[in-house]
Amino acid sequence: MPGNDDKIKSALEIALEKAQRLGALSEDEKQRLKNEELAAAGEALAERYLNGLPLRDIEIELAGRAEQDRHITSHHLLNHLLDRIDVVPVERNDKILNAIQQLPGDSGIVQSIRDLIQEYESAIEKARHENLSALETAKRNELESKGISGSAVQPALETSPEWKQIRQNLDSHYQERLEEMRQKHKNSTESAHSVTHTEDKENTS
Amino acid sequence: MNLVDNFYAYLWPGVNMSELQTYGNNCNSYLVAKALPEDKHVLVDPGMVTNEARQNCLDRLISEMRKDGIEIEDVGLILNTHAHPDHYGASESIRRMSGAQVAIGRGDDDFLKLAGGEMANALKQMGFEFPELNPDFYLTEGELRLGQDLIAQIMLTPGHSQGHISIYWPKAKVFMGGDLIFYGSTGRVDIPGGNAQLLKESIERVAQLEIEYLLTGHQYGSPGIIVGADEIKRNFELIRKHIFPYL
Repeated sequence: MPGNDDKIKSALEIALEKAQRLGALSEDEKQRLKNEELAAAGEALAERYLNGLPLRDIEIELAGRAEQDRHITSHHLLNHLLDRIDVVPVERNDKILNAIQQLPGDSGIVQSIRDLIQEYESAIEKARHENLSALETAKRNELESKGISGSAVQPALETSPEWKQIRQNLDSHYQERLEEMRQKHKNSTESAHSVTHTEDKENTS
Repeated sequence: MNLVDNFYAYLWPGVNMSELQTYGNNCNSYLVAKALPEDKHVLVDPGMVTNEARQNCLDRLISEMRKDGIEIEDVGLILNTHAHPDHYGASESIRRMSGAQVAIGRGDDDFLKLAGGEMANALKQMGFEFPELNPDFYLTEGELRLGQDLIAQIMLTPGHSQGHISIYWPKAKVFMGGDLIFYGSTGRVDIPGGNAQLLKESIERVAQLEIEYLLTGHQYGSPGIIVGADEIKRNFELIRKHIFPYL
């Protein structure tokens, strides 16, 4: 419009303005931004792995990055995979633990998690054994009161409110322990990662 | 509709191609009225809530039952012949309406739990979704006693699925076969969990029973109910001759 200084900016102009602002950033800010990008890349790789990307392809993608970038990406990839582990033993846990074990990084936690899951499974079996008979009898009585009985009837333990409570208590307990393990591992790897990053900066300055 | 005594049949449309195309897939449902204390009913294979043709299958079932003076809130027990969603899909919805107990064959509940993983992915590729099912009890080979004096024989009849059960009511000579056998055909065996040899063995076992009403899971272009011992026997012979060689 005549006399109007405002104009619609093109995508190129917007991109150039952003680049100019980036040029004005300090080294620390640039590194922070880069770290965020690498963290996002690590998490994206973790998701792609969980959705079926072979581990070999993950390794190739990591190998294609510069060393420091690889460390940061790998660190976030492993942390993201770690966050996806649950005490309920699902097939995905094995897939995740195998990846953590094979990718570069601290895999000491893998055996601890495997041990915890095994302990959890044993605890469930023990609880089932200790409570099965009583829960089954209670369910049979309930069904009989509703006119349902016979040799074809096998009460389903898993749906009884009592078993669900027992299970919930066990799940909470072991989930807490898993979370403590995760946090401890992350804290120790964050410290190691910071030390490495500081040393690299000192070497390059 | 009332079939015989206190047995009711709610057939899903599909007796010809036009119906199949219009109404899509769902199973036939069957009901034994006032089989339990407080005049509660037993419902076999409730079908789906809605199907791929966006038909409100459960609404239709409720409406048809109401025409017979039967309310969904009075269902006390749901028996599922197998864990395919077109048969068991509405179980939990009906439970919420009525407080009914829910049952299924143990083998098929295990299959459903497997279906939480790789099996589910394979079946989802084929277009299946699996609604939640939380059975109160499992059905296994043996006697199911209902109410004062009603007895059903639960038979393990794998083949269409690994834990498929069928229900034989000896006093009324009624057989509810799920997807084991249809009029002139059998259940498919090419879905994960299917087994042609087991299907044939299951059918041969059932062929030994005295049946006057053979109630099938679907009307795939043919009637869902076969009536009369002779007609049922002819159906078995036809299947042996024309279907077994291809299984």
